[in-house]
Amino acid sequence: MISWSRRRKLVTVLLFLGPTIIGILMFNVFPMTLSTYTSFTNRNKFHPNPDCEVALTGVLDPVCWPVFRENAPRGLAEPYGLQDPLFANYDDLIGKLFSPEALQSLLMIGVCFVPLIGASVLNRRFSRRASPPVSPAVVWAGALALAVALAFALNVGEAYNALQKTGDFFIVVFRTIIFVVVRVPFSFLLGLMLALILNSKQLPGRTLFRVLLFVPWAASSLAILMALVWQFFFREQGVINQVLGIFGIDGFTWLNNPATAFGAIVLTDVWFSYPFFMVAILGALQSVPPDTYEAAEVDGASWWQQLMRITLPLIRPAILPATVLTSITAFQMFGTAYAITGGGPVQGAGQPGATDFVIVYAFKQIFNSQNYGRAAAFAVVLFLFLFAATLYSLRLTRITKGAYE
Amino acid sequence: MKTRNLILSLLVIAGVLLSACQPATTPTAAVQPTQPPAATSAPQATTPPEPTDTPAPEAVTISIWHGWGGEYSAAIEQAFKDYEAEHPGVTIELSKPDNLGDAAKVAIPAGEGPDIFAWVNDAIGTQALAGNIVSLNDLGVDEAFLESVYEPAGVKGVVWQGQVWGLPETQEGIALVYNKALVTEEYLPSDPLDFADLLDKAQSFKEDTGLPLLCNQGFPGADAYHVAPIYFGFGVPSYVDDEGNVHLNTPEGVAAGQWLLELSAFVDKEQTYDICNAAMAESKVGMWWTGPWAIANLETAGVDYGIVPMGRPFVGIKTLMLTPNAVDRGNAELALDIMKYFTSAEVQARLAVTNKTIPAQTAALADPEVAQLATLAGFGAALNLGQPMANTPFASAQWGPVGDATAAIWNGAQTPEEALAAAQTAIEDAIAQMK
Repeated sequence: MISWSRRRKLVTVLLFLGPTIIGILMFNVFPMTLSTYTSFTNRNKFHPNPDCEVALTGVLDPVCWPVFRENAPRGLAEPYGLQDPLFANYDDLIGKLFSPEALQSLLMIGVCFVPLIGASVLNRRFSRRASPPVSPAVVWAGALALAVALAFALNVGEAYNALQKTGDFFIVVFRTIIFVVVRVPFSFLLGLMLALILNSKQLPGRTLFRVLLFVPWAASSLAILMALVWQFFFREQGVINQVLGIFGIDGFTWLNNPATAFGAIVLTDVWFSYPFFMVAILGALQSVPPDTYEAAEVDGASWWQQLMRITLPLIRPAILPATVLTSITAFQMFGTAYAITGGGPVQGAGQPGATDFVIVYAFKQIFNSQNYGRAAAFAVVLFLFLFAATLYSLRLTRITKGAYE
Repeated sequence: MKTRNLILSLLVIAGVLLSACQPATTPTAAVQPTQPPAATSAPQATTPPEPTDTPAPEAVTISIWHGWGGEYSAAIEQAFKDYEAEHPGVTIELSKPDNLGDAAKVAIPAGEGPDIFAWVNDAIGTQALAGNIVSLNDLGVDEAFLESVYEPAGVKGVVWQGQVWGLPETQEGIALVYNKALVTEEYLPSDPLDFADLLDKAQSFKEDTGLPLLCNQGFPGADAYHVAPIYFGFGVPSYVDDEGNVHLNTPEGVAAGQWLLELSAFVDKEQTYDICNAAMAESKVGMWWTGPWAIANLETAGVDYGIVPMGRPFVGIKTLMLTPNAVDRGNAELALDIMKYFTSAEVQARLAVTNKTIPAQTAALADPEVAQLATLAGFGAALNLGQPMANTPFASAQWGPVGDATAAIWNGAQTPEEALAAAQTAIEDAIAQMK
């Protein structure tokens, strides 16, 4: 009888878990397996249909399942199959990244970041002392100057150009990282400034301003529409050029130049995203006890000193997760870039456009070129990359947890 | 007891999930899997499982997916309404999905696609490869029949690998549509193949009026179709031929690229369909390099326009194609009848008069009212110089690379030589993947 009741228990447990397990299998495990499999095939618009006789295809491609087999499309095309060198799609994307020249270029770019890492380590060590020998700002400035000098000495521009020729993956991901690195601090600074202004008790009509300044965040659910309004500003015949025209200045085709198009997207996306920081910081500011400021004033601390020594350290636990979150959303940014430039200005055939960020690039691979195998390979590489980044950000958030305790 | 309830409810959930997976079948089919397979493949439920030879006038709905644009559609809808009036019981549903290609790719294999699919003939190769359209030869349409009814370009456009894949509706190509109030005789191109002359005129027009002479959405827009008159006009035989050879990185191609680069100094850098449309309506540009589809908008805006041919444009054949869904539903014969009706001389002549389209029907072209249309004369001259749009799937590799190369030349990201060499490689790679 005992075994019967145990089996019964097991069945009950399984039944309770069943829906979740089925859900995970259907919506997580299966799509990931199918994409990984697709990334090894030559599935594209010329080979759109499966060959259900191939064992793995028959199991994995939904079209081959008995329910759908009846309606399976039968075209004239050769069915898709495994790529001849199995890793051909991956080789296209990142293959040349592992050549000696490319690795050397990567190393040179990496070396330029060494001073900055050094500065961070140095500052952390100094902050443990009662009175740091050099102020952190000076260390950062020195490191930055050293990094720039190194960049010129090692001719990083050349290295970057060399890397551009190694396949799309490096350019697209590197450009997206640059976008994140530029965009997040701007959003943060703008959010911080506005939060500090909105937090001051002397400001008349604070509620109104809070609502007004929050509008972009609410509008970002209409991202495409609002981005089109921004696009209209930057057009050759757009608002900015019309205004410049009043002063007799010749307009500039902002969206046809890689640098200005990039800038336009950063600006627009900062506008979309600063309210998130503003609200997060505003909330955190409320939790800073007012008596600390009173005490600081008694000690004769200036406004700047209060900001750097009291406000920022105390709101840090709230800001760090917000920064990590914003960085992730910035990395996945699609709507703004796609609506404003469509990934352009075009850099030539077979090359990603100047604002082809990760998701824009993936979208175009799938929907414009219908190159499923290659898009799947990109997704797999990106997954590995993001998985590593997420592990690192988990470490970051653990630091945040330490700050709370 | 509880276990049994649990198992029962789980089965119900599984049943619901499974039936949700197959939208084509009716719920009754999911409960009774012993039904004949004919019922599963016939979601309309109007066709009896045993085909009997008593065609009672029962209600049949034929759905058509199309890309007919704004001002065009009123007259087209009227044509189908007339058919409905003549054939009681037949309902024709028109819908215009945002992206025909993607919509078809998803819907047709699932059995939820249209019966008829109205698109340009260059889609034939790719769609036939994917199995989204069926050959009309099985339904008794052959090349000889086509040749007796349609223009040679139309016939060539719908035949691929010896089979007929659709019925041609209209022919399209682009020409220079100019605003008579702005562009006087002296700025019109003297010879449709003299590009140096057009360049000089663009320069003098800019200097004299301060306005750009030309608007063409293909210059910066990564759009190989709208720049085709230039490449072909300079002597490129086709971007990709039927054997899959690419003809871009040639002296002729580079000369065309160089011409584009020189022209970019005298016209606006940014051009899209909407920008050109607005600029023409507001008399801010002299000419619009566009096709018959733009005429209706210009007439609404009250622009006094003329049409002159320039270069060798792509001649696209708007085509009605039959999907395998229509065959599965037993609608193939009726759908084909509707296709024949819509491409008939009577309907196409009427549409040509109202919509200013150019029929692919020989008899419709000969119609006296159609023959005297100014649009027909202008666009017709361009089509006569033009290059028929290939329907091989090889051709589908050309659009992205040629458009990107042109845009890169236009923004100065690459020189014409670099850009066209890169495009050549990109197309050759794509074709290699295909073979």
